[in-house]
Amino acid sequence: MFFWKRAKGEQPKTRDLDRLSTSLETNLKWLRSNLFADDDTIVYRRFKTKEPTRQCVLIHANNMTKHEFLSDYIVRPLMISSLPKELHGQRLIQHITEQVIQSDGATVFSSYEKLAEGVVAGAGAVLVEGCNLGISVDAQGWEKRSVTEPQTESVVRGPRQGFTEDLGVNVSLVRRKILSPELKVRMMDVGLQTRTKVAIMYVEGIAPKELVDEVFQRIERIETDAILESGYIEEFIRDSPNCPFPTIGHTERPDRVAGKILEGRVAVLVDGTPFALTMPFLFVEAFQANEDYFHHWMVASFHRTLRYISFFLTTSTPGLYLALVTHHPQLIPMSLSISIAAARKNVPFPAMVEVIAMGLVFEILREGGVRLPKPVGQAISIVGAIVLGEAAVGASLVSAPMIIVVGVTGVAGFVVSKLNDTAVLIRILLVFTSAVLGLYGFLFGIMGIMVQLASMESFGIPYLSSLTSLTIQGSKDTVIRLPWWRMVLRPRHLAPKNRERLHRQSRSKTK
Amino acid sequence: MKKDLARVFFLCAVTLLTTGCWDYTEIELRDFVVGAGVDAVEPKVIVITEMAKSTGTGQEAEFRPVVLTTEARSLTSGAHNLANPSGMEIFWAHAQVFLVSEEVAQGGMLTILEPIIRARDLRSTMYLLVAKDCTVEEVFKSKPPLLTGVSQHLTSIIRLSAISADFVPQQLWQFTGDLAAPGISATLPAVELVHEGGNLMPVVMGAAVFKLDRMIGWLSKEETQILALLKGESEGGFFVMDTEIKGNTTAITYEFRGSQLKTKPIVDGERVEMKVSLSLQLGVAGTRGADVDFSDPAVVRGVEEQVARYFTRRIRDFLRLIQEDYNSDILGFGRLLWRREPATWRKIESDWDAVFRGLPVDVEVDCRIAFTGFRAQPIKMRN
Repeated sequence: MFFWKRAKGEQPKTRDLDRLSTSLETNLKWLRSNLFADDDTIVYRRFKTKEPTRQCVLIHANNMTKHEFLSDYIVRPLMISSLPKELHGQRLIQHITEQVIQSDGATVFSSYEKLAEGVVAGAGAVLVEGCNLGISVDAQGWEKRSVTEPQTESVVRGPRQGFTEDLGVNVSLVRRKILSPELKVRMMDVGLQTRTKVAIMYVEGIAPKELVDEVFQRIERIETDAILESGYIEEFIRDSPNCPFPTIGHTERPDRVAGKILEGRVAVLVDGTPFALTMPFLFVEAFQANEDYFHHWMVASFHRTLRYISFFLTTSTPGLYLALVTHHPQLIPMSLSISIAAARKNVPFPAMVEVIAMGLVFEILREGGVRLPKPVGQAISIVGAIVLGEAAVGASLVSAPMIIVVGVTGVAGFVVSKLNDTAVLIRILLVFTSAVLGLYGFLFGIMGIMVQLASMESFGIPYLSSLTSLTIQGSKDTVIRLPWWRMVLRPRHLAPKNRERLHRQSRSKTK
Repeated sequence: MKKDLARVFFLCAVTLLTTGCWDYTEIELRDFVVGAGVDAVEPKVIVITEMAKSTGTGQEAEFRPVVLTTEARSLTSGAHNLANPSGMEIFWAHAQVFLVSEEVAQGGMLTILEPIIRARDLRSTMYLLVAKDCTVEEVFKSKPPLLTGVSQHLTSIIRLSAISADFVPQQLWQFTGDLAAPGISATLPAVELVHEGGNLMPVVMGAAVFKLDRMIGWLSKEETQILALLKGESEGGFFVMDTEIKGNTTAITYEFRGSQLKTKPIVDGERVEMKVSLSLQLGVAGTRGADVDFSDPAVVRGVEEQVARYFTRRIRDFLRLIQEDYNSDILGFGRLLWRREPATWRKIESDWDAVFRGLPVDVEVDCRIAFTGFRAQPIKMRN
């Protein structure tokens, strides 16, 4: 919604702000009439210090700060302290900062701009009569959601922590997983209006420097006025922006982020959203779940295999069904082809229309279920199941095999949730090619997708890398997951300079 | 962008223009032929087809075999004519069995098989059968216990060939292969109708013997057992033999539990001889309660010798039948010579019929009782 503002010449200009005046009244007047005009949430708390009396003002935005903190550690110390008479200007401010205000975060500012920046971000700004400087004290305090298990990535076994909307909390969640000074967090502000805080996290020495620089540069190049979710950044900086396959990963789980950056990836956390971005994102990652690494490697490998099969099923079942039924019934076992023919006998629509219509209905139901509040969503799915499963077949509007095809497609799609939306588009493509050319068209569609995948890159790394690797170490974490003591090296493309992740000593012990 | 569009257009054009046969037909507008046959070739070809039609939809769907007969100048046009009475597009790829009447088989199979092999949608894995003492139409109109029709019934019988030696199944490709290969004649299994509970039911039993593409005679069920043994295709089945044990003659039922066959041509100058050695592993399936103790090695040895003699005699009889009466090399002795002794084969190839008629065959049968069921001793009753 903010994209049209990217056009050149329309960027909002920062207001030309003067330096603070020595007169408190002038400063307040200016703030009230200009900078904070028509803003009723800004609080101006006037008070005086002990003899020799000096006029002070504490400015803060209501509900953005901790009121007790402001009262106890800024207002009260100032009120009960007597500031030496001979101190003026900068030295007075320095005295207050160093000896009066009892807070760990206090910075001195000299411009209205800095004052405003601090106040809107939840700081308390102290102005003193006769000083053309002010003190900004960190006092952020607002309602936060607590750390809960993420709804989109729940696990049976594994940590139950999920990111919240607060960047500070999120960074701390990741930092607590990697207690190493090598973990670097660099902050940026993106968005001219929103000034959204963005943290870029990586492990120095593992993540290649070029990758980190590339991520920095791409984010720096973003010229937009608002970043409300990490999806904005994802779309701005991703490779192959016109391809529905994701080239940047997102997750709500700190353990996933930690795992990714320990493999040499870079994570981008955005204030205001629990979804962190990880990059580069490769095709195999769509089939990996964090739980894979907590379960026995054979179980994990089985689940991985299941996901690949499910991806094939969810993209191909309708296309294959259509190709076989309309073009090549000789490839279906005899009794099955006869029973499909029997089931389709009274269905008035061609198989192709049936497949497309049912696919559409399924997607509508799914979309309806996702957007609606939970209780209503359940009602939708019950109605959908009854209407589609029972009534439609009973009324001979669709054939029973078609319901099975749609069912298999839908359920298999949920198994690979990260590619579910992509799978819908592939499915539609394959349905069309199969309807026109049968299996030949189906294979043609698959080839087209393979060519596209093979030509894609994510931050300079081939999208299909490690899936196409010919060595055991290269493919240890793809369709199968080898046990941890076999994962000697990090992925070749991701951490080319620091590849060893299992130390020789522990390696020899486990052998 | 323009370049990309041009590329996509080019790819689509190539896909559409370089495709072979493709055809969108709704599956419910097809009729599936599950079996077919030919009753006569002259003056007109009588084509009989069995189709699987369904009545009702969904869970109430029932399959009903429908038999249609047409007459036409050729097999192909007859098959094509079926579309009219059927009212659907005829789909042949699911045909599983193809039957010919005795008359057609005697007149030569090539006239019938040639268009079938040529047709693109018929499978070479179709089973060929010859109707014995009945017409193909009668076979298709008989009442098998399976509701799905005669073709399905015949296919499921043929699948039993692994445990039954009553017939030797032949698929289309095997039969045509035998027609083309040197030094072997083909056989096809026979279909007969038997009375069962007031209905006529088709059974597969025995074999039709061919010389080139013409049928020249039949083999009985017992002779077919020997054929299966000597072709190395018997893996199961039972036989009953009167066995003499300690002076008493008892009818004992034996079970085939495996056999090893070695056929070897022996060439000594001009003289050609075949050596057939068969080693049988048998199980004892029943002694009708007779007092036979198989834990006694002497008894077992006696039984083994008798069975070996019994089979040597049956094989000799069988060889006499095919060498002298039919003079048709259905065991492929000629092909064996062609493979093992090509030089000798070249010399006698043109005269093979005569050589085969008088070919000395040395038969050697070795038998071993490998298994006596869960009992070795007889069951003794209380006195």
